[in-house]
Amino acid sequence: MATDVPRVADSAAVRPLRRKRPRPADALFHAAVLSAVLIALSVLAWLGVSIVQSGWATLTWDFLTDPVSSRASRAGFNSALRGSLVLMLLTFAVAIPVGFAAAIYLEKFAAIGREQLLSTAYARQRRLHEMEADGTGGAALVLRRVGVRAAFAWSRIGPPVNRAVEVNISNLAAVPSIIYGLLGLAIFVTFIGLQKSLLAGGLTLALLVLPIVIISSREALRAVPVSIEQGAMALGATRWQAVSRQVVPAAIPGMLTGTILAMSRALGESAPLIVVGGVAFGTQVPSVNPLDANETPLFAMPLQIFDWTDRPQEAFQELAAAGIIVLLVVLVLMNAVAIFLRAKYSRRW
Amino acid sequence: MTTTAGTPGAGPVLRRRRRRLGEQVILLLLGAAAVVSVLVTIGIVVTLVTEGAPFFADVSFIDFLTGTVWQPVNGSYGMMPLLIASLWIAGIATVVAVPLGIGAAIYLSEYATEPFRKVVKPILELLAGMPTIVLGFFALESITPALQDIGVLPDGQLFSALSAGIVVGILITPLISSLSEDAMRAVPRAMREGAYGVGATKRVVSTRVVLPAALSGVMAAVVLGVSRAVGETMAVTLAAGTQPILSGDPRDPMQTITAYIVAISKGEATRGSTQYTSIFAVGIVLFVVTLAINLVAVRFVRRFRTVYQ
Repeated sequence: MATDVPRVADSAAVRPLRRKRPRPADALFHAAVLSAVLIALSVLAWLGVSIVQSGWATLTWDFLTDPVSSRASRAGFNSALRGSLVLMLLTFAVAIPVGFAAAIYLEKFAAIGREQLLSTAYARQRRLHEMEADGTGGAALVLRRVGVRAAFAWSRIGPPVNRAVEVNISNLAAVPSIIYGLLGLAIFVTFIGLQKSLLAGGLTLALLVLPIVIISSREALRAVPVSIEQGAMALGATRWQAVSRQVVPAAIPGMLTGTILAMSRALGESAPLIVVGGVAFGTQVPSVNPLDANETPLFAMPLQIFDWTDRPQEAFQELAAAGIIVLLVVLVLMNAVAIFLRAKYSRRW
Repeated sequence: MTTTAGTPGAGPVLRRRRRRLGEQVILLLLGAAAVVSVLVTIGIVVTLVTEGAPFFADVSFIDFLTGTVWQPVNGSYGMMPLLIASLWIAGIATVVAVPLGIGAAIYLSEYATEPFRKVVKPILELLAGMPTIVLGFFALESITPALQDIGVLPDGQLFSALSAGIVVGILITPLISSLSEDAMRAVPRAMREGAYGVGATKRVVSTRVVLPAALSGVMAAVVLGVSRAVGETMAVTLAAGTQPILSGDPRDPMQTITAYIVAISKGEATRGSTQYTSIFAVGIVLFVVTLAINLVAVRFVRRFRTVYQ
């Protein structure tokens, strides 16, 4: 591999020059950078062990099937699981179509340069002149005139607009999640008038993951060689046919992988949900039907964990730890699916 | 080859025209999806400003930015304590994460064997994808007691900026190490070979050749880490507490901008009340601060990309 670290010192020609004992400074540096890795790994191990220790005893089947309760001995995680399921369905339903469409546009159509846009505009103009010469008139001709005007205008403003959209998306991906919460509260709850519900929460999470879905989908589309598309177009396909029937099917495993990873981020988010819906739990069992989402209060795994952690009693801390185990298991499963998809369908071109 | 078509080419041309109209519509729809992302940005700016504006009818902008007492109950809105708390935690997190992250990056890019790297990198990324609520719980249940055991924190003190800063540092370490390692691996092999050729050891190559060559990428990673630390919410809310104290001692409990937004959202602030508008007002500050940090990171990345192709 080209990126491999060269091991010049190991090769036979250099070996005689190498000192037999490493200098203290070298050994010290080696130890220092190695310990940086080991510290990070051991913190992860510490985290895992301490959570399993405090949550393992509480993690029973009843814990998964019992609804929420203010009494620690009877409280379960079922409401939170149901809420998170609906949130994921809503996020998926909004983020996939919008994210994939935006990625396809930005990767395959926005990259068209000014010259090519201009030549398309001239071609349209020629056809307009032909029609005028033929004497075909009426509405079609008016429409065509507008089309030619638009094509010329777009050849001027198109490339900078597309670039601005790209910069904007990468900036959005770095906006703190709690800001999305404020957006969701103002738009979905205050402006549109939704309840402080799963629907408002799911839509907020969809906006949150949208830039991540777009960025990762674009990478998957970019990995498909241009020759595939060019081959299709050489056989007479239009650009859209080449993209929709050749490029997208080849890229879909990669796009889904990125989307699942984005969803796993949404699953663990709590800050935007708190801002949109608060942490006020009812006692009802939330419906898993996405159509009822606007009438269902905001339940979610991380919210439930936050609520339990926030209470002083030790019993609730154990419940929180058990909830964290469930959340982490779900996250690991989602990551495993993503890795499986990538391994099974990824192609080297 | 079929030769049934009378005039060659007539059919395909007709079909192409009809198809192209449909494609224009499809292209417009795809473009509209891309525009959604712009609408999100506009939406963020517009909602922050319109929902936050009434706040500045009650509190003067200068008092808001420079005031040192944050007591919403008494109508005292000076956001210095929140801002300083956010900066304290980002600072502590940076002090924890920069040596760990860059050290790990150097090890993984220069020292580690390929199998080791292949195993360790995904594990570190697991840490990066950890929900922050989990890290908050970890800070409360494990880090704070450990700090009490070694005598850094007094017994019985549950919340401290120190513990929150450490856990946020743990959170951004894999982010910094992963991006820095990418930058280091992008340094051309010939530069390393040149240094090895004149007798440099691995340490010298790492610190004098690879690190300087990858510096703008490493800086971008650090800056993105800082931005993430400033915007971090749940770990900070749980571990640093909810008392807006202006303090120079990181062992004190503090309330960050993000933790304040959570604290108000948890309760029922009615729309239009000063408390409700205040979360949008501090949201503006948070948005501006993180945006400024991100723009710095973008500059670093751009410079880094132009040096080596």
